[in-house]
Amino acid sequence: MGDVAAIRAQGLGKSYGSGAMALEGVDLEVAQGERIGFLGPNGAGKTTFIRCALGILRPTEGSVAILGHDLATDRMAALAQVGYVPGDLGMIRAVSGRRMLDALARLHPRPPVLQQRLLDALELDGAALAKRIRDYSTGMRQKLGLVAALQHDPPVIILDEPSSGLDPVMQARLLEMLDERAREGRTVFFSSHVLGEVDELCDRVAMVRGGRLLLVRDVDELRRARVRTVEVLFDRDVDPSVYAVDGMGEVRVEGHVHHFTVSGDPGALLSRIGALSPRDITIEAARLEDVFRALYLEDAD
Amino acid sequence: MGVVLSLALRRSARRTVLLGIALGAFLFLVGLSYSSVDENQIRSLVESLPPAIQAFVKGSDIASPAGYLGSTFIHPITLSIMAATAIAAGAAPARDVETGVAELMLSRPLTRTAWLGAEMIAMVIQLVVVALLGFAGALIAVTTVDALAPIAVGNLVLTAIPLLLLFIGIGAVTMLAGAFSRTGTRAIGWGTAFALVAYALDYLAQVWGVAEPLGPLSVMHWYRPATILGGGTVPGSTWAVLVGVAVVAGAAALAVTSRREVAP
Repeated sequence: MGDVAAIRAQGLGKSYGSGAMALEGVDLEVAQGERIGFLGPNGAGKTTFIRCALGILRPTEGSVAILGHDLATDRMAALAQVGYVPGDLGMIRAVSGRRMLDALARLHPRPPVLQQRLLDALELDGAALAKRIRDYSTGMRQKLGLVAALQHDPPVIILDEPSSGLDPVMQARLLEMLDERAREGRTVFFSSHVLGEVDELCDRVAMVRGGRLLLVRDVDELRRARVRTVEVLFDRDVDPSVYAVDGMGEVRVEGHVHHFTVSGDPGALLSRIGALSPRDITIEAARLEDVFRALYLEDAD
Repeated sequence: MGVVLSLALRRSARRTVLLGIALGAFLFLVGLSYSSVDENQIRSLVESLPPAIQAFVKGSDIASPAGYLGSTFIHPITLSIMAATAIAAGAAPARDVETGVAELMLSRPLTRTAWLGAEMIAMVIQLVVVALLGFAGALIAVTTVDALAPIAVGNLVLTAIPLLLLFIGIGAVTMLAGAFSRTGTRAIGWGTAFALVAYALDYLAQVWGVAEPLGPLSVMHWYRPATILGGGTVPGSTWAVLVGVAVVAGAAALAVTSRREVAP
């Protein structure tokens, strides 16, 4: 089972009535135990991909399998492995949170072993669960959806913008919970346009735009490959050409402070600057947000 | 399937009970009013009315106990209550697709057929509850109003069953329309249109000679409560048409839903 991909999409495509392709030729393989961020702007095809992967939408071309179970031929077995939070989370408003949660638990073959822990972590107590869902705030509905998705401890967790509606404390708690699940070997597929949380949680990112997969890369690799901002403070005048390395941007000098950017491995730069005995040096790690923006700009060009 | 059924019944429980009580109260009050009716006066009054007005009671003798109580089964209030129950329940799956509830449910190991099948059973149960409460009102009237004594309770039961089948059919047609729709509102619109056209066609066929041959095309044409109450039998054609519409529309709704996309 360990060799089987958690999610495998091959040539996945989806067109709607107008003929426009919402998704086109997506090949993506997510290993078991991996945490992958699925990034893209609104309308890029993230939700369409997820819905095709769960059989909610029928792909026009290609196939998807979850833990080896093809969605077209073995959907029930595939879905028995999944916990899913939709982006447009719909719940029956006339019933209580408790009833909805228990109903969703009964629809899944795996027992809801994590239910109480998750309720405690997300601060959904008995009084909250006794309320009808129509009286819930957006955040409470989202928390209920998260508990419903994760309560079975599913091997594959698929989340479509799961932190929307959550306050910052709950967002952090969600990331902790997902991190814990991932450390126990569960696969986390995390669609978002909040780059910070993908940056914090994921090992790998897949980026989509216009229904096409732009790239799939390790987060660390992306960061290493991209631009970092460097600020160096010397105690004297220093000519920037002394420490210049390949990949360095234009240096802006303010007094004894040098500002510049550098891409690629900063090792050579650090050893050259180190030899000049700087008083202080700050290297800001490339944020995924910068990487993301740069990639989209490149693609748009 | 049981989970979806239980949720569907729970969310519609209040509406179902209120509609059932309203129908029961209406049928009871109409039955009760028969004690103050002078048969001959009513008969001569009805006979003096133009045929277009007489057609509302499908030509039955509403001065007789069976005709009087039977006319309540095709009274616009009765039909509206039953139609509201059937169309609301029939449109529930389309509304669930629209609001994302279907996506949440069907991302679990649940087939579309089981999901829609549960919604269909829920619709039938809701209609049975409303019809039972309505029947209870009529039954209380029959057993307490001496003038209605000639009506056999068995005939009353026999009259309620085709009424139920008629609206199960309308609910199934609404579900079929919902299987093609992206919104619950559209399903409600199509279901309502089907019921109104059926009613109008049946009415026109009675009052307008040109439209008479079209009468059998209306599902309403096959329901004649006064005849059933008076005669104690339901024609085989009535069973065949009412059951047929429900089964064919229901099966078609299942077939379409099993292939449709269920995202909002």
